[in-house]
Amino acid sequence: MKRFIYLMIFLICFLPFLNAQDKLEIFGYFESQALASKIKNNFYQLYTNKLRVDLKSQISKNITFAANFDYITYHGKTQWDILEFLSSNITSKIPQGMESFYVIPFSNRHFLDNAYIKMRFKYFDLIVGKQQISLGTGYVWNPTDVFNIKDMLDPTYEIPGHNAMRMDIPLGAASSITALYSPGDNWKDSAKMIQFEGRISHFDYSLIAIEKIWRFHDYTQFDYEILNFSEVSEKRQLLGGSMAGEFLGLGIWAEYGYNKMEKSKDFCELVVGLDYTFDFKTYILLEYYRNTFGKSNYEDYDLNDWMRLFTAEQKAISRDQIYTLIQHPATDLMTIGLSSFISISDSSFTLAPVFNYSLSDNAEIIAYLNFSFGREGKISGKNMGNGGMIRLRIYF
Amino acid sequence: MKNIIISGLVILILALVSFSQDLTGEDIIQKVNELINVQTSYGKAKMIIITSSGSKRTFIYESWSKNKGEKNLVRYLEPIRVKGQTILMLNHSDDIWMYFPRTQRVRKLASHSKKQKMQGSDFSYEDMGSGDEFINDFSPKRLKDEKMEGHNCFKLELTRKPDSNISYSRLIMWVIKENFYPVVIDYYEKHNPSSQEKRLVQSDIRIIDDIPTAMKMVMFNENDNTQTEMELLEVKYNITLEDSMFTERELKK
Repeated sequence: MKRFIYLMIFLICFLPFLNAQDKLEIFGYFESQALASKIKNNFYQLYTNKLRVDLKSQISKNITFAANFDYITYHGKTQWDILEFLSSNITSKIPQGMESFYVIPFSNRHFLDNAYIKMRFKYFDLIVGKQQISLGTGYVWNPTDVFNIKDMLDPTYEIPGHNAMRMDIPLGAASSITALYSPGDNWKDSAKMIQFEGRISHFDYSLIAIEKIWRFHDYTQFDYEILNFSEVSEKRQLLGGSMAGEFLGLGIWAEYGYNKMEKSKDFCELVVGLDYTFDFKTYILLEYYRNTFGKSNYEDYDLNDWMRLFTAEQKAISRDQIYTLIQHPATDLMTIGLSSFISISDSSFTLAPVFNYSLSDNAEIIAYLNFSFGREGKISGKNMGNGGMIRLRIYF
Repeated sequence: MKNIIISGLVILILALVSFSQDLTGEDIIQKVNELINVQTSYGKAKMIIITSSGSKRTFIYESWSKNKGEKNLVRYLEPIRVKGQTILMLNHSDDIWMYFPRTQRVRKLASHSKKQKMQGSDFSYEDMGSGDEFINDFSPKRLKDEKMEGHNCFKLELTRKPDSNISYSRLIMWVIKENFYPVVIDYYEKHNPSSQEKRLVQSDIRIIDDIPTAMKMVMFNENDNTQTEMELLEVKYNITLEDSMFTERELKK
């Protein structure tokens, strides 16, 4: 709380000065969100208030500074017991007395999400600092993105910033090379990426190579010294590519990543998607995702799989999945839709009706419901509960 | 002398009338196409969506166009919710990319996305015109001349070509005889050529850099009882635009 107050004092004192430079833009949004879920016979609700303040300044013709601060408060049920979502054959294996460790807390937080300087030179752009790294053409899943994991129910939500140095070198009108370095403790622990992007006819494509340390936890080993589960890290080398274009009037895209692992078994990820807008303005999207790191039999899902999925350390635990979205502008201000996630590997699915309404030029409501259909222990098993989310966002 | 002048005028008028009567639908639409596809242009426009309940949403955007509409870049300035969203259209909108500043993501869109409403308005991206669609997607037929919005107009019926994927079965267009500017366009549903879907009315036509330009456009949606007004705040023609402006690098600027 103290840090928050200091930050506010800093902003109040410093921003008017920066504003006087006549080049600083201050904008952002406030969102208030309610999440409700009925799990077994319990009804839970979590309220979130988020203030995001963006700063942007054109320091000179070729230098831009941008940053944003996030302030988030949580209310209601702020301690989620993961074991409530899991089947009894998994929870029964947890040693007595350890149950209380499997809780995900939602604690109030404030942080500098992005802060970077973008320098534009004649032959390249250089971005230094904490920045968003968006990779791949997939809508929900991105096999070539080892930096982020999207929320399946909200795949277009902004992704967090990563500290990195990035250089984009345009090669003519349709090609470019991107080199990225995200520093770790030393060169070996740092993430490195090189990507070539090009265009053939009406198709965009990219080839990418990344080396990154993948950090996750062993949720069966609790380290009492650090009061957390033991951390496991492993070098991951990815070779992949993506494409996006049009075929027979349909928008199509594909993305592939082969992951060479230092210790565990290599795996690959594949996304294939298509979309179309009908003359009556209805939009449809379908995306298939295969991840050989996932399992094809739901009875093989273990505690680590579930915990890594819930803590966003791992993209998927099911091998084959499909996402669908159908959306229609019901009025000029309202869009309605229905999305679904089908886990082919374990024959379960989630249905999520979605709704978006423009309250004013700079205010909108987004809401969805989610219903799970599947046997206990599956990705969309009934133990995942049914619920919904409503979010009011005001831009300033 | 007076008789000579009067005779001369009569001959001139007859020649003009005869010239306009000689024009075929193809000739007229060709002239419309040449007029609206300027070599390069810059525009700043305000778009106001008026819903059936009277609610309004206002957007302001800038756009740059090169090679007679072959390359286009549109960047939203207001409201803050969409500020910075940028659309790059190349090859007469066969290739479209959209940049979302909040997620810093560029998405390649297929040409079907042109059918989508532009920020929920009554204009689709397709309606905004991209190059030669009146020529490439429709077959013109000249109808009986009519007066429309106070102008003497050629009236044309444009019927969708069988191989075209455009969202309308036909258009009825009123073209001002004086300058070949399309003042009103009626859009008919793709699968029901007798059902009118929308009407575009262009007004406040001014000569800017020797080119007739409608400073105001209103698209009436007959089905939804809504309308979208478009007002040009600034426009420049035949300016110098580098090719580098129409690249992904500029999209993310």
